[in-house]
Amino acid sequence: MLYREALNLALDEMMEKDETVVVLGEDVGFYGGNYRVTEGLYAKYGERRVIDTPIAENSIVGTAIGMALGGLRPVAEIMTANFAMLAMDQIVNSMSKLRYMSGGKLLLPMVVRMPQGVVKQLASQHSQSLESMFACVPGIRVFTASDCITAYHGLKTAIMLDDPVIFLEHTLLYFEKFEFSKDSFYNPFKARVLKEGKDLTIFSYLKMVHDVMKVVTQIENTLNISVEVIDVGPLNPLDLETLTNSVKKTKRFVIVEENPKHGGFGANILSAVLEETFYNLDAPPLRIAGEDTPIPYNRKLELLAIPTPEKIYSKIVKWGKENGL
Amino acid sequence: MAYEIVMPQLTDTMEVGKIVRWLKKEGDYVEVNEPIVEIESDKAIMEVPSLRAGYLTKILAEEGEEIPVGSVIAVISESKEEKLDEKLEEKQKPQEKEETQKELVLPQEEIKVEVKQLPPATASPAAKVLAKENGIDIKTLQEEGKLPIPAHEKDVKSYLINEKFQEDAINFLKDYQLNPEDVAKTFSEKEKITIEDVKNFVTINNIPLKKSITSIRKSLIKNLKTSLEIPVFHIFTELDFSNIPKESGFTITTWFIKILGDCIYQYEKLRTRTDEEFYYVYPTANISVAVDVSGELFAPVIKSIEKKSLTEISQELENIKQKAKEGRFSREDLEGATFSVSNLGMYNVTMFDAIIPPNCAGIVAVGKIVNNVAKLTFSFDHRILNGREGAEFINLLQSKFKDDDYIKSLMG
Repeated sequence: MLYREALNLALDEMMEKDETVVVLGEDVGFYGGNYRVTEGLYAKYGERRVIDTPIAENSIVGTAIGMALGGLRPVAEIMTANFAMLAMDQIVNSMSKLRYMSGGKLLLPMVVRMPQGVVKQLASQHSQSLESMFACVPGIRVFTASDCITAYHGLKTAIMLDDPVIFLEHTLLYFEKFEFSKDSFYNPFKARVLKEGKDLTIFSYLKMVHDVMKVVTQIENTLNISVEVIDVGPLNPLDLETLTNSVKKTKRFVIVEENPKHGGFGANILSAVLEETFYNLDAPPLRIAGEDTPIPYNRKLELLAIPTPEKIYSKIVKWGKENGL
Repeated sequence: MAYEIVMPQLTDTMEVGKIVRWLKKEGDYVEVNEPIVEIESDKAIMEVPSLRAGYLTKILAEEGEEIPVGSVIAVISESKEEKLDEKLEEKQKPQEKEETQKELVLPQEEIKVEVKQLPPATASPAAKVLAKENGIDIKTLQEEGKLPIPAHEKDVKSYLINEKFQEDAINFLKDYQLNPEDVAKTFSEKEKITIEDVKNFVTINNIPLKKSITSIRKSLIKNLKTSLEIPVFHIFTELDFSNIPKESGFTITTWFIKILGDCIYQYEKLRTRTDEEFYYVYPTANISVAVDVSGELFAPVIKSIEKKSLTEISQELENIKQKAKEGRFSREDLEGATFSVSNLGMYNVTMFDAIIPPNCAGIVAVGKIVNNVAKLTFSFDHRILNGREGAEFINLLQSKFKDDDYIKSLMG
């Protein structure tokens, strides 16, 4: 199943089950969504529940907040995370605060979905990874979806929650096929161990999970070790239990993230895990992240600005050899 | 002139497009900018116009098919009958091409490592904890060159193991795939653990030595398992060799193979294989001979025995011996038998039973010759022949061994 189809199925099932679930955003209705995530919903549920909005991101989130306060369960789509910057006032000053400032009396059952990340020559303003911006705001939950299982089950849970959720997707994953099962047990508040190992843990999320998995066997063969791969999953709250337990076992960890290294979300993972595991560690942790630059338009420069499977491989091998592996 | 129409890249993220519907069919005339096909991209379904005028001479992608961006989906020509050139035909398999391009190429050259200049006492937290627990001082050992700088947990571990064990004891443990740390726990900490100690440890705990099975052996095991599925019956008999001339210059084995081969040539059931759907009757008498090559069992085949003289067979047996010494049998050497011979007579074995190799109708196990008589055990595949037929074949063999004229004719 395609990643976008898994998201579509989650929306469809939730709308079918609960008529307070509504979808709103730019081109989500008649056009079926810029990446076809809401395809077919307009025909099935009509314009009152699948709402085409003006190009006004702050209003989209503001409207969703109003809907949620009024008893609906809105799922707002922001076309890309880059455009969510226009909605930051509603996200940071309203969405994240209402539950807290009402002493828990107000429920805010809403989801703001958005894709992010480098696609292919969409240039600086359409290629950013902005998870740190959302994950640093207390009061909102930040989920990531790296495949069909996390997309489907994660989005359904996000819709069911009474807390506001930022639901991060990756643009390049929409048209990827992944294994899918409705029954698979998945808890969006937990990190997932994708592959067990005993000598090194690699943390990543969204598309980087797949770039890591592409080279993990070669890393194992070159360094003659066994590697554990973990999809970090929720960025706020972090599932520290799973992350630290793995590092206590392997004593080494690497974080692979697409966003720029400076201020990148991996720094949060690193400090949180390091605080718990310092005396267990056998090597300094390694972060493989994007360069501290706007994403270039030129394809070669664009690939130089973010981690690729080749870079992940060589950086981990080099780091491993320098640090006793 | 022919022009290719390729799958267009309709969106930034599009890698493949699905042909929804051809709006023109082969042979139709197309104007410039006239819609020719509907394509589903990752974002929407769009009509794609032709960039040239001409006849649509060839459609290379069916409706419903997903085609990578840039692959040829159709050809437009100036005239209706124009033939495709060969280059276009080659491009008809776009997907295979695409996949090979996507293969990940990792850097082949050795990844360079920067050597850090660090002072003694530098070690990872894990290494320090382990050193502390075992009462060793990392700094001193680093100054003595017994630990690297920086020291990691595995360096401390191997230092501790080298301290606790003598070198040959560590190697011995490696052979048994035992973790020295676990073994060390069972010993008192006073003295260095010797090879005698670990040998004792292995004996007391009854730990087996794990040996890998060669691939030849593995395929033998597989074949034996297959053989076990053959419904088999045995016939025990004796064979009198007294009519075989002593001074012929040929070994008893040579004689036996030749006469057995001639019988098999006469008796088609022993030139037969079966897959339980059909019987396959082979035209010549091919016998495999079990030989032991430094512990590995091979069954090289002597082919078309009915056409071969004793001299030729004798020569072939010599060749087999030579190849066995070198351990070099080709695939051809080992294929094509429908009957097999196993001989343990030289090991003073009176009689024994052998397992039918896959694809053989039977096997004979030959014991030692006592007073010119050997005890034979025949095993036959019951799917191919019945007990009476087995007995009939054996009678044929026995009569050949008594037939002086026939034996003389073999001498040439």
